[in-house]
Amino acid sequence: MNFVAVTACPTGIAHTYMAAAQLEKTAKKLGHTIKVETQGAMGIQNELTQAEVDAADAVILATDIAIEQEERFANARKIQVPVQAALKDPEAIFAQAK
Amino acid sequence: MALEQEFVCPLPSGIHARPASALEEVVRHFSSAVTLFNRRTQRAANGKSILAMVGTDVRMGDSCVFTVSGPDEHEAMAGLRAFLRDKFPHCDAPLTATKTEAATPLSPCLRDAGATIYRGQRVVPGIGRGRVVPFGKFSIPPSLPRHGVTDTEMEWQRLEAALEKLNATYLQRLGRTKHIEAELVKVHQSIARDVDFRTSLREAVITRQRTAAGAIEEAELHFSNLLAASGNEMLRERALDIQDVCLQLLGEIYGEAAKSAEVKLTADAVVVAEALTPGQFLALDRKFLKGLVLARAGGTSHTVILARSFNIPTLAGVTNLSTIQFDHQEIVVDADAGALVTNLTDAARRYYTLEERRITGRRARLGKLAARDAATEDGQRIEIAANISTAGEAAGAFDSGAEGVGLFRTEMLFLDRPTPPDESEQVESYQAVLAAANGRPVVIRTLDVGGDKPLAYLNLPAEENPFLGRRAVRIYPEFEALFRTQIRALVRASANGKLSVMIPMIATVDEARWVKNIVVEEQKKCAAENIAFDPAMSVGAMIEVPAAALAMAALSQELDFFSIGSNDLLQYFMAADRMNTQLATLLNPLQPAFLRLLKLIADAARAQQKEISLCGEMGGQVRFLPLLAGLGLNKISAAAPSVAGLKAELARLNQPKCQQLLEAALNCATADDVSALLEQFSAQVNVPLLETDLVMIDCDATTKAEVIKQAVDRLFVMGRTDDSPAVEDAVWRREATYSTGFGHGFAIPHCQTNAVRFNSLVLLKLKSPVEWNSLDGQPVRVVILLGIRAAKGGNAHMQVLAKLARQIMDDDFRAELERETDPDRLCAVVQKIF
Repeated sequence: MNFVAVTACPTGIAHTYMAAAQLEKTAKKLGHTIKVETQGAMGIQNELTQAEVDAADAVILATDIAIEQEERFANARKIQVPVQAALKDPEAIFAQAK
Repeated sequence: MALEQEFVCPLPSGIHARPASALEEVVRHFSSAVTLFNRRTQRAANGKSILAMVGTDVRMGDSCVFTVSGPDEHEAMAGLRAFLRDKFPHCDAPLTATKTEAATPLSPCLRDAGATIYRGQRVVPGIGRGRVVPFGKFSIPPSLPRHGVTDTEMEWQRLEAALEKLNATYLQRLGRTKHIEAELVKVHQSIARDVDFRTSLREAVITRQRTAAGAIEEAELHFSNLLAASGNEMLRERALDIQDVCLQLLGEIYGEAAKSAEVKLTADAVVVAEALTPGQFLALDRKFLKGLVLARAGGTSHTVILARSFNIPTLAGVTNLSTIQFDHQEIVVDADAGALVTNLTDAARRYYTLEERRITGRRARLGKLAARDAATEDGQRIEIAANISTAGEAAGAFDSGAEGVGLFRTEMLFLDRPTPPDESEQVESYQAVLAAANGRPVVIRTLDVGGDKPLAYLNLPAEENPFLGRRAVRIYPEFEALFRTQIRALVRASANGKLSVMIPMIATVDEARWVKNIVVEEQKKCAAENIAFDPAMSVGAMIEVPAAALAMAALSQELDFFSIGSNDLLQYFMAADRMNTQLATLLNPLQPAFLRLLKLIADAARAQQKEISLCGEMGGQVRFLPLLAGLGLNKISAAAPSVAGLKAELARLNQPKCQQLLEAALNCATADDVSALLEQFSAQVNVPLLETDLVMIDCDATTKAEVIKQAVDRLFVMGRTDDSPAVEDAVWRREATYSTGFGHGFAIPHCQTNAVRFNSLVLLKLKSPVEWNSLDGQPVRVVILLGIRAAKGGNAHMQVLAKLARQIMDDDFRAELERETDPDRLCAVVQKIF
């Protein structure tokens, strides 16, 4: 499957990036493709375009705070989880998409 | 012909010390005799003596009369009448409660240690541990009889003789003691000589057949109550001095029998007392005195001043202190945290062992830095000197790494005493500083007083606006003899070292010439008397009045050097009272106009080839150092504890880059713009995120709280934070949202706070795993703590940290961190991802 994701934690120093790495790693392991946008202390990185969002089978939002440009995902199939879920059991998140 | 004024006391609490001091203030400048008479008690008192007026026991509704007689009786009476009519009825408004500092958050490591913690106010910083030695209230041994004297004349003679003897003892002690202890003796002497004190003792014996002990007890109670009832903190604290005199008087009369209350320290001790007299304090063996806990103590109490000078950690204001059961247990006075810690548990003891490690670790590191010469990375020398207020501080300042004394404020020598210090006392004080300096330069500033710092013997009238009034150099012509004595003492001291004299508040060339002339005259006199002095002693000025900043070329014709007094210069330049906290934004030294003024001063001094330094508060803050280095100052003088930090910071700076920074700052429109510029500059200062000393491979922490404390302590030891509690607090606030233990035996606690000075990473490997409430429920073996400054947008460090956060999810990377045990190699493992 083809995923896009956004990670964002309260301080944006550690967990945002840890979760992004974990989602990428797990997607690879499960044979999915994924592009993960981070919204942390560095601002928005690896930003998702509307086209990329529209082309994805599902959007994973591993976020604990309100994110910017949420309107991009208005019509997408969303999987909303806390950041910690991406660290604890990432495979379960992908399983939700089935 | 004497003048009289009747009045009825309108004050609910009568004339206690505060109204009495207000009355004394009104009349003391007049030469006429002023008497207060209370018709109810039939007591009269000298209107220029606060104690005496308090002694007339004027209560609300008492009918009284003031009598004034003398050459200026009409002026005096006019002043008194106006005061009684307009101000007297309102002169006893309750004082606003003294502002107490908000208690700093306790380290969770201490909070959860299971000990009992009482909060109090830090009076003298530091941490002390010892067994409790309680100190009872002032009391006269009950074994001494109090009344039933038959031969009252004889008993009075005995008491009077003891008073005389005590006075003689004080005189002797004056010859032997110095500085603060000598001041104290003078205060005690003035009490022992006080006419009212003596009269009260005499009355008790003669008219009420009291024994000497009984009379002393009554007098003590009477005067202490009078002073204690006053809202004036300073007077209230003088009650302790009265108790001291009473104890000494008892000793004179009864010898050993009077000393039942004496406390002897035989092992490390913390003395706990409602109040402690200065004499009682001095009698304690300081070898064993590790801390003081006082129910009441203000900054002006002599006991506190003594405790400060001997560095005894002191805590005050512990609520219900007298009800706490100590039972001679070991306790900790943690004045730094504002805590009294009792019922010590193993965890609490461990916490204080860690605290000791933290403090000695920092000191050891600063000691290494302090030994270096102060210079920028590119070798530009800037002398880092210390500001001191007493000669006793000099040695400590040099130990802290000061390369000179950049400002010795001489006010302390003159304040809080009935007469000014004579020439020899001053010479001795100045020589003591020069001796400690051992050839290093010492700048001594002449007396800087005005209407805000009352010196009884100057009789300066209170002014509407003392900071714009007659102060410092402006009053020297009026008190020429006093000034000449100080100059002569400085000239004499100059024979013993590298001494410079600095004149405060210079605004005009005329003032500089006048001062210079006196210096030359005193030097000539010394030469004529064959007294040694240094003819090359330089004379300079504080640049703190904006007018002087625009007269640098002309002033340079008269003077040898200049030192910017940034606090006063800023308040005068911005027309903003520096005591007014609401004007803080105006009093920001980063105001671009102020920086332009500093630049103008520094350039003018350089053009005249004169030394230029800065000795205000601005100099003590490392944050401002790049700007000051950019100004090309020759010297910065700051409080001694800032010296080593300034040296360390200076070594990180590059002078040409600082100059560029300053140029950019001068072109800024607002202080915020300058601040942002500084922030940006500091971020570029090359302080690595991680260094070997931030790696601990055998951390012995046993709890999460202790791990976090030890990690933050590393930041403190390495000078990356000056406020460990604030950083710890920030880490814990982050920890409260959810645990940073992400599994696999790793945790990554972090915080974003400007309490860290540089973005930093601490790497700890724990000896034994610690419970962290991790995602996978497993304990933690490796901890990476991130301390990040708040910054807008991303920067290079943030990119590195984002990379690290991603990398740490990699199994191989974690395995490498677990395997490696050498700090240097661990450092390299992390740095290779940067």
